[in-house]
Amino acid sequence: MELKIVVIVRQTPDTEAKIQANASGNGIETSDIKWILNPFDEFAVEEAVQIKEATGAELIVLTVGPDRSVEALRTALAMGGDSSIHIKDESFGEMDSYALAKVIASKIKAMGDVDLIFAGKKWIDEESGQVAIQVAEELAIPQATLATRVAVDEGAKKVKVQSEIEGGQRIVEMTFPALITCERGLNEPRYASLPGIMKAKKKPLEEVLIDSIDLEETGLTQDGLGSAGSRIKVDSIDIPVIKRSLNIIKGEKADTVQADEIQKASENLAKLLREEAKIL
Amino acid sequence: MSEIWVLVDTSQDKVRNVTFEVLTAATKLKEKNGATVAAVYVGDNGAGIEGELAKYGADKVYKIENPSLKDFNPSLYSHVISEAIKKHNPEIVLAGNTLQNQDFLPRVASRTSAGLTLDAVDVDISSSSTLQVKRYRYSGKSISTISYHDTKPMIATIRPNAFKPAETAGAGEVINETAEVPSSDNFTILQTKIIPKERPELTEADKIVSGGRGMGDGDSFKLIYDIADSVGAGAGASRAAVDSGFVPYEMQVGQTGKVVSPNLYIAVGISGSVQHYAGMGSSKVIVAINKDPDAPIFQKCDYGICGDLFEVLPALTEEFKKLA
Repeated sequence: MELKIVVIVRQTPDTEAKIQANASGNGIETSDIKWILNPFDEFAVEEAVQIKEATGAELIVLTVGPDRSVEALRTALAMGGDSSIHIKDESFGEMDSYALAKVIASKIKAMGDVDLIFAGKKWIDEESGQVAIQVAEELAIPQATLATRVAVDEGAKKVKVQSEIEGGQRIVEMTFPALITCERGLNEPRYASLPGIMKAKKKPLEEVLIDSIDLEETGLTQDGLGSAGSRIKVDSIDIPVIKRSLNIIKGEKADTVQADEIQKASENLAKLLREEAKIL
Repeated sequence: MSEIWVLVDTSQDKVRNVTFEVLTAATKLKEKNGATVAAVYVGDNGAGIEGELAKYGADKVYKIENPSLKDFNPSLYSHVISEAIKKHNPEIVLAGNTLQNQDFLPRVASRTSAGLTLDAVDVDISSSSTLQVKRYRYSGKSISTISYHDTKPMIATIRPNAFKPAETAGAGEVINETAEVPSSDNFTILQTKIIPKERPELTEADKIVSGGRGMGDGDSFKLIYDIADSVGAGAGASRAAVDSGFVPYEMQVGQTGKVVSPNLYIAVGISGSVQHYAGMGSSKVIVAINKDPDAPIFQKCDYGICGDLFEVLPALTEEFKKLA
């Protein structure tokens, strides 16, 4: 039987996006933001596509988020995914990782026979990779995070993963089903080609309203969805403004310090760091 | 009495500095809610660690020792910690934001139905007596205040360097816990390779010097390593330098690299893009060296030299050496 792979993806603001608090002060202003597929999810999708190409696996991409999140699914489909699942949640942001992991795990559990789950090592908006790991826990399956190499043994239903760990790296072997989060360096994600993008629009997209998900049905405790099922909440978002002293040493005649002024400029900077900043 | 737990991180059986920082954070909370601070060790050999832990405020030291906990296995570690949490019912569980804790605490949170925030830069007790933390989101672009609903435990990891370790005597009473460690037949560690690091880890470094596209090539990074070594700093790079193939990805600082907050960050030949600043903008003092007077980094730094880095770095390295 062919392998079944799920990739959990997320739509995030572009890395160059400026972040502003919204009017209520506990979310971000989204009107001017350019949205992208979370950069680390690209490694996850690419790895899954390569396994699909080698083994004929079935590849499903899944996301939770508002309407606009479908674009992240389309990008993943254009890279080579077969079908997609969009768990629609317009109130996205209210749910913490605990609640979100239950929703995702519940959907994956209902799919039955999933062998491998991939995700990016972190979401660059939440600055955390905790949801994928919590999904692994809800499904009671092993995980390997920060993967830099993945080798699948389809026949034995095992996967070897090389991971970054504190102070080095290690290789672990897991039995299917297993979850892997992907670090940069694992592969070189392909660009979504134009024909790929055209084809993606015709690939199956299953839309699920988040309120229709019944956690009890898949054996996960139902605390409720949204903020009711969450354990933490965002009180406020602030944009840090750190006042910088902008003490720039420039040249006597030009903006740029000239060769004969380098020595003095270096002495000055070292002195400022020692005496004023008290950092050296 | 309610307890605040601090998970102990060790390296070669020695307690890591980040644990003392987290004990200091726990002591701050203890002053507000009067809880007992308990350090919790999981591993195969915690002999004698209580002395140092008590020096930084540990009233109790739980030791969960078992030969099969020698190597880190996320499922097993989350099992034994979760069982201990269910037994002792701590109110708050804190730990350093190390790779290992980021790896298994999410499982603990799900297993104990707990709230979890990673990488907090400050902790407090809210007006409703629950944990409240501050953490960056969108890398350094925003800082969120997050409070926990009234469920126990409340779990958070603390960013290295966010708290300065402060000595305060605790009783350090040792409590040995027996742990039943289940077998792990779906996860096997085949090989572990410790790679000796020449310089401090970026995420824990007190000082960092980073090079950007302006370095021109990989060989020029020798200038970065020289000045970094003159003050015991870590060595980093911008995304442009990594994408150009000058240095490996593990050196990348920024929104898609490492997020760092040292006391001193020196950006060399780095223009200062939004995504780079997002990864280092919370540094205490930022220094820029760049020959372009219009580089955006000069609008976001404390000190700088507008000059050719190939001339400035050797001269500045000599000055730093004199101060050492």
